[in-house]
Amino acid sequence: MTALLAAEFRRMSSRHLVRILAGLALLGITIAGVIVAVRSSPQVGADPRFPLTMLPDILRGTSIPLILAGWLLGASFIGADWRAGTITTLLTWEPRRTRVIVAKLLACAASVFVLAIGLQVVLGGVLALDAAFRGTTEGVGAPWWRESSGVAARAATLASVASVIGFAVASIGRNTAAALGAGFAYLAVIENLVRGLRPAWQRWLFTDNAAVFISGGNVGFSFQRTMLQALVLLAAYAAALFTVSAMMFRSRDVN
Amino acid sequence: MAVIEVEGLRKEYRSRRGRTLALDGLDLVVPEGGVFGFLGPNGAGKTTTIRCLLGLVRPTAGRCRLLGADSPKDLATVIRRVGSIVETPTFFPRFSGRRNLELLGRLHGIGRKAVSEELERVGLAERADDLVKTYSLGMCQRLGIGAALLKDPALLVLDEPANGLDPAGIKEVRELLRRLGAEGRTIFVSSHILTEVQHTADRVAILSRGKSVASGPVGEVLAAGRSTGLTVRVDDEAGALEALRSAGIPASLDDHAIRVMLPPEEAATVTRTLADRGLYLTELRPDEVDLETVFLELTRETPKEASP
Repeated sequence: MTALLAAEFRRMSSRHLVRILAGLALLGITIAGVIVAVRSSPQVGADPRFPLTMLPDILRGTSIPLILAGWLLGASFIGADWRAGTITTLLTWEPRRTRVIVAKLLACAASVFVLAIGLQVVLGGVLALDAAFRGTTEGVGAPWWRESSGVAARAATLASVASVIGFAVASIGRNTAAALGAGFAYLAVIENLVRGLRPAWQRWLFTDNAAVFISGGNVGFSFQRTMLQALVLLAAYAAALFTVSAMMFRSRDVN
Repeated sequence: MAVIEVEGLRKEYRSRRGRTLALDGLDLVVPEGGVFGFLGPNGAGKTTTIRCLLGLVRPTAGRCRLLGADSPKDLATVIRRVGSIVETPTFFPRFSGRRNLELLGRLHGIGRKAVSEELERVGLAERADDLVKTYSLGMCQRLGIGAALLKDPALLVLDEPANGLDPAGIKEVRELLRRLGAEGRTIFVSSHILTEVQHTADRVAILSRGKSVASGPVGEVLAAGRSTGLTVRVDDEAGALEALRSAGIPASLDDHAIRVMLPPEEAATVTRTLADRGLYLTELRPDEVDLETVFLELTRETPKEASP
């Protein structure tokens, strides 16, 4: 299992899509850093001065692209295998299918988590430099550290959960497009229909629970749910989808 | 010892358009060592058999064993000793050939040195670091053979390994298979290039409509074939041709010899017909039976099964 996992980690880290998305993210962070530096006034009392205490809110905002990127990476990781037919080659080297799909999932989810943490650390570092030289670090203390690291960890966790869901749906549909299409249909159609027709079911929607989890509580939401409850629900969705995909993978003919 | 045992293997594919019977109670035994040719027309079930052996496809009924292990249940215990190619080998197109093999090799603790040696053996050393998407079909096939050999396998299962190769590549593969077979490995190779198999294989099985219709050493399978024509040489070729045709015997002139479309047991009819006209033979021999003749006879004669 270790060798299989190591091979899958290596494949994930070698993927062009991972490198492209990471490169785009770093470019975006650099541009954002420059814009903040230019717009922020270094003089005390001047307005606007970039306060580093905004970082948790910024990380909440950047969690959305991270979640979407996680979903895309998860879907394309297994989707590329089906598309290229490399699943066949892999199974002639490791026929234990459960091991194969679990190793792929672990490599994918862990890589997405690490990547999300890494990008948020870089973003935080760039903004810290902006605040130090062109803004203010006033109010930065232990509570700020706790909140910032908490939001970053939760965003990375959600990106990881999204990658599991994307992975599972792409595995069921045997291609990346299946996951992207299903995801779009869910977010654009199903969630809006539920909100419009069955508001009471809102508490079961992915985005609402993701928002509760990222916010750290359900302040401003129409339903009662703790951060932990939201996480458990989202993890249960991901686990259920993955279980279905793994069962199908075990029993399917690979042609 | 048998390295491949297949008993009553049956595979039925179901789709919206109905059911398709790919394998219909196939029995097959492949002994250890040498090259075993697995022949059959398109759709006969060769690739399905190989997929069942490798655990890629679940049989509807029957069982198969590879190196003594039930497939797919215990396949993992022997997979380290089984190299394979299934149809066109598939690799990650955006990784180099070397990286693809390294990723696979890592699963069984096979190092970079072995990967480099294998790439050298299949003639891909110079292009090893190029992306697979830039490879030709023949190069992908070579990479597939390299991947199959990377495990230093006791059993090689190759599905049409010469696909996409140029004549020089086909010759190389043929020599490689012979060499590997002579090393004591077992090579199970499916092919539609019958002459290649005839010159490479020690034993063959012929598959038609999901069933084995002949199996055994190449010589025995050839002996089961019937010659369908005679070659006749005579001094007066034009006169002989006219005499045969006027007696209602189908014949044609072919490179200073007359080809007569009669089975060998009717050779006496030819000698009598020509002798009656005062024409005496200098040579009369039945056509040689090759694998293609046997293959066509056997696959043509198999009655149609109710499939979909």
